[in-house]
Amino acid sequence: MKPEDSDTGPPLDVVQQWFQAVVTHPEGVAAGSAAGEAQRLIRLDRGELETVVRRSRNLTAEERLSIYANAYWARLLECLGDCFPVLKKALGEEVFDSFGFEYLQRYPSRSYTLDRLGESFPRFLDETRPPDADWPDFLVDLARLELTLAKVFDGPGVEGQTLLRPDDLDGIAPERFAAARLVPVVCLRLLVSRFPVNAYYTAARAEENAEDGAGKESELPIPEPGEELVAILRRDFVVRRYTVSRPQHALLSALLDRVPVGEALAAAAAASDLGDDELAAALRAWFRFWTAEGFFHRLDA
Amino acid sequence: MDARGARLGHQNLGLGVGLRSVHFDHILRTTPDVDWFEIISENYIDSGGRPRYVLQQLAERYAIVMHGVSLSIGSNDPVDRDYLKKLKVLAREVNARWISDHLCWTGVLGRNTHDLLPVPFTEQTLRHVVERIRIVQDVLERPFVLENPSSYVTFTGSTMEEHEFISRMAEEADCGLLLDVNNVYVSSFNHDLDPEVFIRALPHERIVQFHLAGHSNYVTHLIDTHDGHVIDPVWDLYRLAHQLTGGVSTLLEWDAKIPPFPVLHDEVLKAKRFMSENLPAEPEGETEEADLVAAASSPMSPIPHPLHHIRPEVE
Repeated sequence: MKPEDSDTGPPLDVVQQWFQAVVTHPEGVAAGSAAGEAQRLIRLDRGELETVVRRSRNLTAEERLSIYANAYWARLLECLGDCFPVLKKALGEEVFDSFGFEYLQRYPSRSYTLDRLGESFPRFLDETRPPDADWPDFLVDLARLELTLAKVFDGPGVEGQTLLRPDDLDGIAPERFAAARLVPVVCLRLLVSRFPVNAYYTAARAEENAEDGAGKESELPIPEPGEELVAILRRDFVVRRYTVSRPQHALLSALLDRVPVGEALAAAAAASDLGDDELAAALRAWFRFWTAEGFFHRLDA
Repeated sequence: MDARGARLGHQNLGLGVGLRSVHFDHILRTTPDVDWFEIISENYIDSGGRPRYVLQQLAERYAIVMHGVSLSIGSNDPVDRDYLKKLKVLAREVNARWISDHLCWTGVLGRNTHDLLPVPFTEQTLRHVVERIRIVQDVLERPFVLENPSSYVTFTGSTMEEHEFISRMAEEADCGLLLDVNNVYVSSFNHDLDPEVFIRALPHERIVQFHLAGHSNYVTHLIDTHDGHVIDPVWDLYRLAHQLTGGVSTLLEWDAKIPPFPVLHDEVLKAKRFMSENLPAEPEGETEEADLVAAASSPMSPIPHPLHHIRPEVE
């Protein structure tokens, strides 16, 4: 787009690309305006910022542009911390912000909503992890847990819909049950973690809610590595978390893959050390508990 | 006065407040005597959870206006039509009286800075913005209103003042205006201009809504932080704007250090003092000095608002 005859400055597209390059530069406005991207758009020697942006009575052009530059990083770091409150508390604000600062450079927001700001943060933590250490698994898995909780909280749910109740499974012939498909609620998610991050999340929340705990850096130690399996869903608009065993996870995972119940039961049996009778009793108890907790939408014949 | 009369014929909804998730429980429990609510559109257009459910409940009882922060009407990037369609769906769902956003851009080359960035006030920008407003109006099929944002720079290449740009934009695109009185005060201070000149110059019949908010005073400049009470000089501008327009829907924004709901509600009710002819000469309010001290003692980086993110509820 060309400027009108009466316009004397650079065209709008050039001004906007230059402005964005300058105020989002990680080293600030002076470095941003001197960097290649900005210079390709508007060539300025040092001290010439005021040919593009006016100074005010109190502030130079650089100081005025720095208001936008400071706000850009402060706003997005604040929001990223809001997306991962327990991870931020575990790392401490300074360390979290240094990760966030790098993350926002590698994955700048491309969405109209800040709700997606942290979507690639677990991947970023994984991509930038130091080699030969397992503690980064804790950070990655905790970030994945918090991201999942946020998605389940505001994603599709089943509030107001009729779900499968414990009694609905009574009296169904075993053959018919095995051939049917048990449809989980749309908000059910399963997570496999290499550290007990769900237990850590619970402890961190308790620490935050304790007297004088709010806003302080966490004193919880990073837990020892250990596999943790968690089912997450939303009921009555509140996110619920359930630690599950390996056979339970195998069963729920198979049901999420929409295989017939019989195949899902076989997956559970393969992951279980229980004898047939014990497993059968356990399965009955699991289904009763899960249906009471709203895990399943319906049974499709 | 426009043939459609004051406020482009839109209803004066009275005194409203910005809906924030920290107040959901209070509002549902007490159904406060608020005239209307304004929502941040981006907090609800994708929601499949409690935020949208609460909004649906409130929309049955209160008038709702949708206020966005990501339309990026001044951007050189293409208009995001998927985003517009989502706005339209939600507007229909909650019977939004109108949809507003800011005269700004939020990013280019596919990026979103999530800030309300300033445009140069040129003939080219004017033509560009007017064209895009028409696209937005065609898609939304609902009254569309643009707000003057707070700004911290002006461009050397600008060929007109902001009030001239806004006036011509509103006339040429035939859109409404959301006059943010606090933003006028903040920008005028930052650009060494007279806020009264700005307010007097606008086409008053096109103003369908006012915004009020607090800001932070950093001595050399002001930042629109939405984190406190409205100060006296802003109330004085509000009085002027009220006189010039005959009164329009008024909304208080409070986005950081958000107080309990009754404090928020009381703040907007102060506007009643400025709507009567029998006003005290110097109404009680927050002073510029109080605001200055609060800002100077704040350890936080100043973040212009609205910042829009809702924390999940997890058991």
